[in-house]
Amino acid sequence: MATLNHLKIVFTGTPGAGKTTAIGALSDTPPVVTDVRNTDASLGKENTTVGLDFGQVDLGDGQFVRLFGTPGQLRFEFMWQIIATDALGLVILIDNSRPNPLDDLAIYLDAYKDLLPTMSCAVGIGRTIECPLPTVDDFCDMLAARGLLFPVLAVDVRKREDVLTLVDTVLVQAEMRL
Amino acid sequence: MSSVPTFLSQQARQVAQSLLTAIEGTRAVVVATADGFDLVQVGYSGVEASRLAAMVSSFAALGDAASRESGLGTPRCLVIDSTDGRLMVRCMQVRDHAIIVVVVTDKTALLGLVWNHLAAAEKAMNAE
Repeated sequence: MATLNHLKIVFTGTPGAGKTTAIGALSDTPPVVTDVRNTDASLGKENTTVGLDFGQVDLGDGQFVRLFGTPGQLRFEFMWQIIATDALGLVILIDNSRPNPLDDLAIYLDAYKDLLPTMSCAVGIGRTIECPLPTVDDFCDMLAARGLLFPVLAVDVRKREDVLTLVDTVLVQAEMRL
Repeated sequence: MSSVPTFLSQQARQVAQSLLTAIEGTRAVVVATADGFDLVQVGYSGVEASRLAAMVSSFAALGDAASRESGLGTPRCLVIDSTDGRLMVRCMQVRDHAIIVVVVTDKTALLGLVWNHLAAAEKAMNAE
């Protein structure tokens, strides 16, 4: 079980949404990556994560956050559950340039539906400048339709402050649950 | 869907079939891409190749990360020794392509023999 000075937050979400980049942007130590060459032309990227990503960040006052990233593809769903065990919170990253971002979010909400009632969560939407639709409000409406109330933020995961905001959002929710 | 060259799929099938035949106690052989797509499955049909391919690609990548972290270089083989048999996983580089060969055996298969056959298979694939 996570304690509040040794926290575990999991980054999940669509392939190419920037989970590895986000952890790399925030981690104080060189992240552990398990990227291999991608052979799926539909993804349009050279490498893809098949195991997990890991990094950690010192929040000060003796608080460390361990950051874990999942593979994005559905065929790695078994890893989603393994990695999320004992996590304090979940960050779901969505790539708004994909064909159906709302459907993408639904996949991860379904996958984690048993954990979400007791887990803090934030949703980060990437590439919103190039692809403004669906809007952040559309994602909020979708969550509300499922009876879920999580912060949804437009983010650029290459920016450390954006990733930190997502993590902070998760931590604030966790503190409120105490 | 994975896009790998035809020659690689053909070689993978030949290798999988020869491993199944050559190693006593082998139940199945699965060849996968490093990013978790199954290329070939031979042997016991109870093994779901697509799921096993994704799983072994994950722990091959984790093995690689742990090996690098420990300063041990690139891993060649991972073994899962279970109550009813073993999974022997060989990470291979065939020309420019990283593939993973998984041999599923019962308890009678000799570990060293499987190891040797896998090493020979990698050599043969690169020699063709």
